[in-house]
Amino acid sequence: MKVIVFALGSHVFKQSIVKFSSARSTPVGGFLPFSLIVVLAIFGPFLGHLEAAGMSRGFSALLNSVVRIDVRQVNYEGGTQHFDGSIGSGVILTEDGLILTNAHVVSPKAVEVSVTLSSLENVGAKLVGWDHWTDLALLRLDMDEVARRHLSFTHASFGDSAKLYVGQTVFAVGTPFGLTRTVTRGIISNTSQYFDPERNEDGYETGLFNTWLQTDAAINPGNSGGPLVTEDGKVIGITTRGYTGANNLGFAIPSSTAREVVSALLKNGKIIRSTVGIVPGALQDLEDFYSLALNTGMLVNSVYPKSPAAVAGIKAGDILLSINHVKIDGRFPEQIPSILNSIAKQPVGTELVLTIKRNAKIQDLLVKTEMLETSVGEERAYDKWGLSVRKISRIYAREHGRSDQNGVIVIGVQPGFPADVAGIQRGDIITAINRTQISSIDVVTQAHDLFSKKPEATLLEVEKDRRVAFVILKP
Amino acid sequence: MKFFRLFLIFGLSVFTHRALDAATLPEMWAERVKSVVAIDYVTETEDERRMSTAYGVAIDSQGTIVLPSAAISARIDPKHLSRFRAYIPGEAVGSDATYLGQDAYTGWHYVRVSNSMAKELIPITRWTAPKGAKRLGLSDFVWGIGLRNKEEDFIPYLMQSHIAIVESLPQVTAIAQQEVAGPGLPVFDQDGYFVGLATSSFAQTYLEFSKMDRIGSPVMLVDVEESSAFLVSDEVLPVLSRRPEQVSGRPLAWFGAYGLEPLDREAAAFLGLTSQSSVVVSEVLEDSPAEKAGMKAHDIIVGVDSVDLPRFRPDHVATDYVERCVLKHRPGDNLKLTVLRGANRINLNVVLGDEPKMIREAESKYFQRLGLTVREFVYADAIERRTSVKLISGAIVSYIKSNSAIDGSGLMPDDWIKEIDGSSVDSFTEVVKKLTSIENDLKRKEFVMLVSRGAETAVLRVKLH
Repeated sequence: MKVIVFALGSHVFKQSIVKFSSARSTPVGGFLPFSLIVVLAIFGPFLGHLEAAGMSRGFSALLNSVVRIDVRQVNYEGGTQHFDGSIGSGVILTEDGLILTNAHVVSPKAVEVSVTLSSLENVGAKLVGWDHWTDLALLRLDMDEVARRHLSFTHASFGDSAKLYVGQTVFAVGTPFGLTRTVTRGIISNTSQYFDPERNEDGYETGLFNTWLQTDAAINPGNSGGPLVTEDGKVIGITTRGYTGANNLGFAIPSSTAREVVSALLKNGKIIRSTVGIVPGALQDLEDFYSLALNTGMLVNSVYPKSPAAVAGIKAGDILLSINHVKIDGRFPEQIPSILNSIAKQPVGTELVLTIKRNAKIQDLLVKTEMLETSVGEERAYDKWGLSVRKISRIYAREHGRSDQNGVIVIGVQPGFPADVAGIQRGDIITAINRTQISSIDVVTQAHDLFSKKPEATLLEVEKDRRVAFVILKP
Repeated sequence: MKFFRLFLIFGLSVFTHRALDAATLPEMWAERVKSVVAIDYVTETEDERRMSTAYGVAIDSQGTIVLPSAAISARIDPKHLSRFRAYIPGEAVGSDATYLGQDAYTGWHYVRVSNSMAKELIPITRWTAPKGAKRLGLSDFVWGIGLRNKEEDFIPYLMQSHIAIVESLPQVTAIAQQEVAGPGLPVFDQDGYFVGLATSSFAQTYLEFSKMDRIGSPVMLVDVEESSAFLVSDEVLPVLSRRPEQVSGRPLAWFGAYGLEPLDREAAAFLGLTSQSSVVVSEVLEDSPAEKAGMKAHDIIVGVDSVDLPRFRPDHVATDYVERCVLKHRPGDNLKLTVLRGANRINLNVVLGDEPKMIREAESKYFQRLGLTVREFVYADAIERRTSVKLISGAIVSYIKSNSAIDGSGLMPDDWIKEIDGSSVDSFTEVVKKLTSIENDLKRKEFVMLVSRGAETAVLRVKLH
């Protein structure tokens, strides 16, 4: 059975996204509806025992470092550029105002970020960098404003997620549904929960490089980005996901991952990762078939065409035994994220020695890593046409077997506007405008600028399900 | 009565075989019903056995019957068709018939009935109008035959109407005001002359109202038993004798342009193509005659054999027109096409090829213990997967029996099997050989396959219980 998880997020006030999915439904990003709040209020756990947990100095400092984050972000869907709002949680990490939260709470689409401190005062903040692969983002408070208004806050520090044990008491702190800072208590249910890699609601890849801490501390939409802490107030995870329709199955990104991401984001504002272009698989009981000792190697399920692994001659069905002569163990899915992370951490262009077993033959292959890229291309909205598009990226072209990267994918049309009148629909691919190939999104922008200045019939070549239509955008 | 005799004498002296020997509609009806038969047949696949019914006309004294193209699904391999039986309308007992195949140009299926039944039938050509007879026109009275279903012994019944419009779609098609015959059955005029063969009906549009959509959303309903449209006899008679050479319907002329789409009217006006229809080529298939002739994706076909495409209404008729231009040829024939590419008109000379093996023609094999059918990987599979046709190899999973050994291994229909037990399988024969040995080895506990799905591959382990 495939059970799907919802991102604990943020868009509580965006009714259009509120989907209450049953456990078998698919969307990532379904949220608990407001009507459930009442139910949760009645049956929610009794929270009167902070003293029992030993209200340490560390814990009270932690409480004052947890913030609510209100985001106004640009949205290109629906054929027009518009803005929507969402709410999440975050934790202040340094005295100079760095805040850690989820990438699905604050992304580069954010145009306005407002942070509510524990003192209930609002301060502006800016995105320092984000990493959708681990669903983490880093903000910085407007420290000038903090100084000018003589505001104060405390900051939290990381604990070691590797030392957690199942049954250990933990607390989730955040602003679920936008409620003022809320603490819930639970235990660590699992220290290394695995989820298959997936995509967030904007199509960004997530979940390749880490496993999750699982807790039964109550976690609700709006908790996203808040810390999961131990009794001494150390941050051991960032709460990120929960199951829709389940009770107390919450998931947090471990601090071991968060630490790495924070330091890289601080340095470059983004994380540059290496990839070799293989899709791994767990060996799990295939050892006999491949004549392998247990806990040896990782299965190569797929190799992307033209990727470094493909160029080096690695094939689907090969077993990867070691990376730079360090043996790897990919018996279980839970072990795969860290193997991928060990490749990702290499500088781009590093030559790795991958030891491969194919049937009885073991060989060393030299593979030069390339930069990991997302399949999500640049997005823009063209208001005069009522058309919003996303550029076809190199990765999208590869995933969809397209011979080149020409074209843009339609992500929205506004009813009654020229694109809609011409019969263009979400999911169509526009490959040319006025017989010019769309090699870059600027080709579309230039044509739209021209149309805005002097509205004239514009010829588009549109692919719908591999069938080509020539259509006209009429003024 | 006096008039009738006079007519008969006139007919015998001048037209001999064309004489119409009945004057009243019931009398004409009684004779013309002898030109139609009902056919039923069985379609058999791994998990399904289905009986279908179709109606057709006799075209010669040997008992050859023509059925409309919709009578048999194009996706079904003729080897899955069996137990063809023919029924004289109104009679309970049928007799065996033989399937002869489908003609590519008309799409018609041909069936041969028994000799004894053939003797009871009158070929439809018996009712052909004399040369120079008045052409079918607006408001003309027409009548035709419908057949009830098998439970009612295919009892024939009369339908009548008047012509509302005659239009090229691209074949000249008459549309009557009401249903005038069962699809595949003939239509006659008031003198009893054959004027056409009913096609599948036009869809009727209804508005459906719901709470979600108060202005209503259109629903198209098609009457599959009765039709108001028919191909006029001038379109039918010259091609009735296109009997397929083989049950497979081959030889089939092949052009190799994928996704022919009518050019949108406004785009046509933008490109200066107002007086004619034209057709956009979505993709040019690898190694196809179109590719060899230099055709490119997004070319716009504006002419065939040096003649501009006529202007058709509705637009999509233009694509049928081009496809029919190809299908009336044989492999090896030349086809001249004029295309618009950018601002240039380019003449292409296409040497038509032989249609590559189709999915329905692919070899296939069912493995009972595994609960799996695999079929040969063919040209169309490579196109669908955007793979080079030079990489044709292995086999496609075409059926997985639910709750079988293989069900639950993660294998899905349409998966492309590339390796079995760690070694690549380059041909369908190899796949079958490997799976046969696994199927027969009762001690086998598991086997491993590498399959391709979408842009990725995966190693799947199949446990055998």
